[in-house]
Amino acid sequence: MSTPELDGPLENGAAFPSRLTARVVTPGPQPRVHGYDVEGDLARHYQPSDLLFLLLMGELPTTTVSRGFSVALMFLAPVSVAHASTHAAVVARLCGTPAVSAFGVAAIGAAEHARALVEEHTELFAWLRAPRVAFPERFRARDEADLATLSRLEQALEPTGLAVPGLAQRPSRDAALLMLLFAVGLKRRERLEAAIMLARLPSGIAEALVERPTNFGNYPINLPRFAYTESP
Amino acid sequence: MSLPELTHETRTAHWGWHEHRYFGHRVFEELAGRETLTGLTVLSVLGRRLTSDACAVVDDVACTLTLADPRIWPLKLTRLISAYGSTLPAAAAGLLSEEDARIGPWTGAKSAEVLLAFDAAIGSGVDEADVVRGVVKAYLDDHRFVWGFGTPFRGEDERLVAFRTCIQRRGRESLRFWRLMDAVSSVVREVRGTEPNMGIAVAAAFLDLGLTTHQVGSLSSALMQHMFLAHAVEGSAQGASLRELPATYVDFIGQAPRSSPRASGA
Repeated sequence: MSTPELDGPLENGAAFPSRLTARVVTPGPQPRVHGYDVEGDLARHYQPSDLLFLLLMGELPTTTVSRGFSVALMFLAPVSVAHASTHAAVVARLCGTPAVSAFGVAAIGAAEHARALVEEHTELFAWLRAPRVAFPERFRARDEADLATLSRLEQALEPTGLAVPGLAQRPSRDAALLMLLFAVGLKRRERLEAAIMLARLPSGIAEALVERPTNFGNYPINLPRFAYTESP
Repeated sequence: MSLPELTHETRTAHWGWHEHRYFGHRVFEELAGRETLTGLTVLSVLGRRLTSDACAVVDDVACTLTLADPRIWPLKLTRLISAYGSTLPAAAAGLLSEEDARIGPWTGAKSAEVLLAFDAAIGSGVDEADVVRGVVKAYLDDHRFVWGFGTPFRGEDERLVAFRTCIQRRGRESLRFWRLMDAVSSVVREVRGTEPNMGIAVAAAFLDLGLTTHQVGSLSSALMQHMFLAHAVEGSAQGASLRELPATYVDFIGQAPRSSPRASGA
């Protein structure tokens, strides 16, 4: 039985364009990103972190910013299995899912992890935009480990020449890394989330890849122990 | 060294030897053979069961929400991911696009917030036209966009027309939030010229069932999964034709070609 021609709002309603719009990457065999020839120019003169910066910001970083951004990515990258985002990727792998599905889980976890981190620091970004008020106390270093990280971050940044004035407030590890991203120009929430997610995604993927599928017997199924209750 | 036990409370479920628990119910003894998929879905979101009459309203919502044309954006993205050949990642991608989105099931949650705000302001005055008019006009003065109103590409939301028939057939059109929706809609229509959409109708029906705003969003989302699954199943079986469009179908409007500073200096 043939289907009669059907009519609806998308047949005789508003006019839509007939082509997609590309704004960042040119389609075709020799791609350009924001105008730069990837294969003939960027691949010869820049690092992957510079391409990432270009993709997110629309412009190549200066040498100082490039070094600062690389330091930020490096410090952000390690996310152990103690974190829910990486833990979830490992559990996906454990389930015997195809590796790419575990990568997808890792990507969702990394994105949610980034969103939560940025959201929890809303007040910090307000201070960074207008540092005339007192620094929010809850973003100060909480312990010796935070201070040690801060010291290592300052050492890593020292050769770059990048100024991150907020570090003088002795912030927590997370706050310090967000200050660094802010200092290299990532000031919009979406860009911060994207950079954090992309920096952290490989940790989740890597930890999943080294887990053996269906290795259920070696997984701590009662960590945590879920206490079932029927009380309202 | 023994570690302190980390515990996390759950009301959802427990795996037993011969019987399992789900939100306080024995799965085999109480649910199997007695509960429907809709009832289980409701139980999953609300943590409690609803009567069969209430579940029938949920079924009405699921059926009348079934607008599954693959050109609709969230379904289109499922279709695009399915072009790589897998089914569930494509369905998951669609699901991922729903929470807090401007279109899709979360509009029900946002609309429920609007209705609750009107309910708090109007109180028992829903039948007093001047009271409703004053509250709604003040709200419209403060809000350019109002969740639950506006129907892209057509004058009215045909899903709401069909759903209203279901609500009337079940004798629920005089319930508190449905009446409130109608009262508010008459003012929005007069002031803005926009019609209520299915989002606020679902919100009204679900608030009348006792759901919270977040439950409205979650249950609405659950009731729309069949559409994502349909496109994921069909799309993954259709092969690679959507994987890459010919370049002639893409207009580039970004930066003109340029050389990097390092290439220029090299």
